[in-house]
Amino acid sequence: MFYSPVRTNASEAEKNEKLHLFKYVEDPQQKNVETFESRNGYSAWKKVLSSMSAEQVIEEVKSSGLRGRGGAGFPTGLKWSFVPKDSPKARYLCCNADESEPGTCKDRVIMERDPHAIIEGMAIASYAIGCHLMFIYIRGEFGECIRSMERAAQEARDRGHLGKNIYGSGYDLDIIVHSGGGAYICGEERALLNSLEGERGMSRIRPPFPAIEGLYACPTIVNNVESLATVPHIINRGASWYSSMGTEKSSGTKVFSLSGHVNNPGNYEVELGFSLKKLIFDPAYGGGMKDGKQLKGVIPGGASTPFLTPDMIDVNLDYESLASVGSMLGSGAVIVFNEDTCIVWTILKLIHFFRHESCGKCTPCREGTGWLEQVVRRIEMGQGEQGDIEKIEDVCGNIFGRTICPLGDAAVMPIQSAIKHWRDEWQYHIDHGSCKVKSEFSFQ
Amino acid sequence: MQGKVGVFVSIGIVMAEQVKKEQAVSGVPMVTATIDGREVTVPKGTTVLEAAREMGIHIPTFCWHPKLKSVGACRMCYVEIERMPKLQVSCATEVMEGMVIQTASEQVLQGRKAVIEFILLNHPLDCPTCDKGGECDLQNHTFAHAVDDSRYSFKKARYTDGTDGTTFDDKRLGPEIVLNRNRCILCYKCVRANKEAFGEYDLGVYERGNIAEINSAPGHEVDNPFSGNLVEICPVGALTNSDWRYKIRVWLTQTTSSICNMTSSGSNILFYKEKNHNKIYRVTSRMNDSIDDGWLPDVSRYGYQIATTEERLKTPLIKKDGKQVEATWDEAMTVIHNRFTEIAEKKGKVCLGGLASPYLDNDSLHSFNKLFRTVFKSNNIDFRSDYRMLPEGADSPYEMLVDQPFTIADIDDSDLIISFGSDLIREHPNEYLRMRKAYNFKRAKVVSINPYAVKSADIAELEVIHSIGRAETVLNGICLAAMEMGLVNNQDLTGKIAPATTAEAASDAGVTEDDLKEVARAISSAKKISFICGEMVSRSIARDTIASALWNLYLLFGFKDKGQMAILPRYANSRGAGSLGLLPSPSDGLRNTLSGLWGCFPESDPNNTDAMLALMRKEEISGFFIIGANPLMLYPDRQFVTDGLERLDFLVACDLFETDTTELADVVLPLSSWAEYDGDYVNLEGKVQHARQAIKPLYQSKPAYEIITMVAEKFGAPLFESIEACRKEVDELLSMTHSTKFPSQFLEVKPCYEDAEEEYPTPLLICDDPHHCGHRTEKSQSLSNFVSEAYIEMSPEKAEKLAVKDGESVRVESPVGKIVVPVRISDCIDNNVVLIPRNFASTQVTSLLMRKRRLDRVKITKVDE
Amino acid sequence: MKEVIKAIGNVFISMPKGLFVTFKHLFIKPVTLDYPKQKNPMSPRYRGKHYLERYDDGTERCVCCGLCAAACPADAIYMEPDETEKGERCAKVYEINLLRCIFCGFCEEACPEEAIFLGQEYEFSAGDRDSFIWTKEEMLVQHPRKDNPLKRVIRRVRKVYGVTDKVK
Repeated sequence: MFYSPVRTNASEAEKNEKLHLFKYVEDPQQKNVETFESRNGYSAWKKVLSSMSAEQVIEEVKSSGLRGRGGAGFPTGLKWSFVPKDSPKARYLCCNADESEPGTCKDRVIMERDPHAIIEGMAIASYAIGCHLMFIYIRGEFGECIRSMERAAQEARDRGHLGKNIYGSGYDLDIIVHSGGGAYICGEERALLNSLEGERGMSRIRPPFPAIEGLYACPTIVNNVESLATVPHIINRGASWYSSMGTEKSSGTKVFSLSGHVNNPGNYEVELGFSLKKLIFDPAYGGGMKDGKQLKGVIPGGASTPFLTPDMIDVNLDYESLASVGSMLGSGAVIVFNEDTCIVWTILKLIHFFRHESCGKCTPCREGTGWLEQVVRRIEMGQGEQGDIEKIEDVCGNIFGRTICPLGDAAVMPIQSAIKHWRDEWQYHIDHGSCKVKSEFSFQ
Repeated sequence: MQGKVGVFVSIGIVMAEQVKKEQAVSGVPMVTATIDGREVTVPKGTTVLEAAREMGIHIPTFCWHPKLKSVGACRMCYVEIERMPKLQVSCATEVMEGMVIQTASEQVLQGRKAVIEFILLNHPLDCPTCDKGGECDLQNHTFAHAVDDSRYSFKKARYTDGTDGTTFDDKRLGPEIVLNRNRCILCYKCVRANKEAFGEYDLGVYERGNIAEINSAPGHEVDNPFSGNLVEICPVGALTNSDWRYKIRVWLTQTTSSICNMTSSGSNILFYKEKNHNKIYRVTSRMNDSIDDGWLPDVSRYGYQIATTEERLKTPLIKKDGKQVEATWDEAMTVIHNRFTEIAEKKGKVCLGGLASPYLDNDSLHSFNKLFRTVFKSNNIDFRSDYRMLPEGADSPYEMLVDQPFTIADIDDSDLIISFGSDLIREHPNEYLRMRKAYNFKRAKVVSINPYAVKSADIAELEVIHSIGRAETVLNGICLAAMEMGLVNNQDLTGKIAPATTAEAASDAGVTEDDLKEVARAISSAKKISFICGEMVSRSIARDTIASALWNLYLLFGFKDKGQMAILPRYANSRGAGSLGLLPSPSDGLRNTLSGLWGCFPESDPNNTDAMLALMRKEEISGFFIIGANPLMLYPDRQFVTDGLERLDFLVACDLFETDTTELADVVLPLSSWAEYDGDYVNLEGKVQHARQAIKPLYQSKPAYEIITMVAEKFGAPLFESIEACRKEVDELLSMTHSTKFPSQFLEVKPCYEDAEEEYPTPLLICDDPHHCGHRTEKSQSLSNFVSEAYIEMSPEKAEKLAVKDGESVRVESPVGKIVVPVRISDCIDNNVVLIPRNFASTQVTSLLMRKRRLDRVKITKVDE
Repeated sequence: MKEVIKAIGNVFISMPKGLFVTFKHLFIKPVTLDYPKQKNPMSPRYRGKHYLERYDDGTERCVCCGLCAAACPADAIYMEPDETEKGERCAKVYEINLLRCIFCGFCEEACPEEAIFLGQEYEFSAGDRDSFIWTKEEMLVQHPRKDNPLKRVIRRVRKVYGVTDKVK
């Protein structure tokens, strides 16, 4: 059995009542259904089926202030309430476990080590929207997650948590564990639904929204793993408990995947509103910069969010605070760069990724990312020409906000912010054909 | 000025109000928006692009097609909408109440310019060699947006053929289609149309991102019967077809609007011709929403090549000493006059007969009718050369059902579409696409009731495959099921139809009882039904029995109020020929009108094709005039026709090429194709459509109308003063109030079964190949690139039983004939039926058939090499 | 008397003077050319008889795109395209009617493939009209490539768009 060797703050979570997601993730027994049940598992699902109506569940989640943890931060309860009540069609719930944003590895830990929490959350969400068949779309490379989820699903069926007439309530529910093909774009909900239907993983045009016409043209809710794993705790402990954590508009806790040039990279569950500086420098979390180097920049929410400079890191990790400094919370993947990092090289790596993962449906993203990669590579290789920076900015402007899905935006936002913050470095590359910083992270 | 504007505005407001009211009555809510400062009111659900087009505002697009779902892939159709921070794609944005839209603001133009720049990054700009040059969307938009320079300084991405690193990358996808991936701008229109509109999966997208490419499915060719449309909708020159490829520049051609002569719906087409060469280069669609919906089946698209082929008859031929030799028109006319007069004097005028082709236009058919009825005083005239044992009289259940009104566009909003006895894709491709459209956009329910699994049933919610030759039993079963379930209350029918219970009918017809009940339930719950009956009814000897059963269904479910049911005609002007009275015994109304127009009408016995052929064998008909038809190849009993035609004293045959029939003729006259003269055609809805002359008659050929009038003049009896006089008579006939007849009560239906023979176990069906129609299209080079020889289509199980593989030859024997054809294994056929297309002269498939049989049965054996 | 003296003066002064001019011209380089033997060198941009260029490997440059015919104000060019064995576009028929041609050079300017050039040759008289229809075979000769300044502009544009020559 292989566990991803990701460090977590589970020891802290065991002591702290508030940190519910990571409480038992370090316990290898947690993935067994008996252990899970003995730790109050599936009690929320039982409670929902026995004593709550769908509207009550939605109301509870709404008032808890839970927001989607996949990146956009859309209120989860509100999303559920969009499903038409009177539609004769079947409804579907799809758990988005196609976690492929560079730097993000939070869902993976939960799926590998606490799969029943996800199934319980999915079951409650299904009940809330009236769905009888739910899907979990797992990234193809996550072999252990797929095995773990499949085993958990079978256990849940065996123990009567899923199946026909669950707990005698008359409610039927089943789960399909689907393994994706390993495409970044399939983490986007509409491309995910296309892929699940057997089509090419390409985003669909909106409207209609998936909540009205999603999988097989039926109302479908797509939620992130972390959001769903939170739901049972909200049901068990009440919405007010959840909304008491975090800030006023960003309630609850969130897992941040800290990576890059820090001493202790890993997954840390913290309350929203936690200080970014503390996350990086506190010994209980990041433990400061590796080898005592200076901090150069931080990507606070996965590879698709704009950079923060050292003078901006005194910011709180919640949706509003990060937006106010021009970045996003995203999926919560904090990537830290030290002073030795060549920013052009970093951007080249990012744009290469996005070029490779562009699905090819809409023109600006398909052609623009390829062009950007070539220009950035030229600059990095020391063959940049005067005017290249302006060209990149212009091309970024032509891609930003003009594509079907957010991949185009995701590809250009880090570039735009990197040019904004470190323009002199780009210019140095073009003028001198070499990098200002000499490090292993560049071609020189 | 201000006053005037005020008037216009107030008229506009009044009109808008009126539209709003009308729409409110029909139940579609209306929304009002402002586009470029002008107000527009459209039904809810209209996209901004459609609304703008309606107002005459052009928004450039690449990936949008009016008949496909929007995908918003090309991002060319940006518009700016107030209160929306980003540019929106107009093809996927619905008009909302109070929207303020700018279609040409600075930001919009900048956005579009950027998109063109992106598209041109890797476009090879090989316009000089590209056949799309001159009509290319990308060229046009590039010029319109003044994208004259590129900031891209890298080497363009190239697909090459791997030999010399040039930009040349032409890949043959199918018999007709060539793909150049370098030119492709990935709008995905071809793949979407192939999948959505045609239901074909032989073209797809491979790879991802900026190396994504269009390609044929591995191991497959793009050879579906609608593949020509893919070329037409390609916005750049990535897909080209071989008939237009490297032939001529589009700006050197002129266009002529015409209609297709290959389908009975009369698709609207555009000929691209070159005046000086007197040559047609290609055909494209002339989108007519009420008929073809903008799609052309390949048989319509490439069918024009029958006009331009080298195999055309070039001069009249006269048989001298058993050999046909070239002659002039005068000589030919003299021979015709002399011999016909001779026969008439010897045996009386009733000894003459005529057979016209339903491909001909109204003028030709009407003049042919007049020639026989007034000059030859004969009622021996017909236009149906491929149906055996036709009934006489216009009041038979079959004729009444053929005469029923049918509207193609009504298929769109039907919620139940039933195809009965019809392999739609082979017989009525346009209606097949309509059915798919209704299924795709309106989620219509499709039911297919056929003796084998037709290709068009892939979208069918319910597919009823009955034993062959039991069509009427299935229909009776549906009636019985409806009555048993209490869906309809009408006891008059009991006792009139043969099996008394649904269970019996089901077991007789080889279907399940549930299927019959399901169909009955579907029909009774549907609000609007289109019931399409096809050739399998028309060609069956039991056509009257089946038609009676259909009438019972019609009356039982009250189709009159909720739908349409008709047996659709097969050929371009079948309906016109019927309406003009080119039948041995036209209906009383027609007969009266005709005799009113001509002052006379012959009293002789009416004989249809069957009867005429029988009379020829008895040597009671000795002179015969065939114009355009080829009974020897199409009539389902070759021996019978050969016997008849060989015993004739004198046979005149007119056709485009040398055919089996012209070989027997004493005088052969070269006929012009429909592209070479003006003519009107009546399509299956009864709509009269005009086909313009595209080129001058080729070689010495003449249009049928001219040939007929020449003959009449030779006989000293000119038919019309001018062609206008003829058209006037035609108009009068067509404008006759046409009362469709219904049977007043239920008809008796007693199924007539034919017992299977031990020796010849396999039922054989003769059909058209999806790429062919009738006897002429074999001469079209492009169509014969798709299929050039006959084949026997059978199921994999059947082939396994016979131990034959795809492409191997088998011997097919019937009591009267024997042919050898290669096998084609198809998943779309089962139930122990085999199909052989009739479009290929060399196979002589009709020699297997017998005219008095309901079912043709054959024995198939493997040919040992 | 006066007239006589004038006449004598003419004979002995003016006539030798004139004859001297004539005599002098025996030693001056003539301005005319001894035409059939000598030919006037034409200016580099002279527009004479058309040539069709080839690539260095011998294949024809002309792809029969029809732009020269479209640009021709005299409608002198006629062409029919064809397909090579490989499937590339080429000219089957390419004819210029020299009786109609006005030697404006628009065809040369329109040509996107740098295939047609107006050369230096100006001697193309003939006895019958048929010989004024120049076919492709007559025009396709090995000819040193002419360096037309206009062509340089076109080449630059083509380079910008990434169209490279088949043979470098």
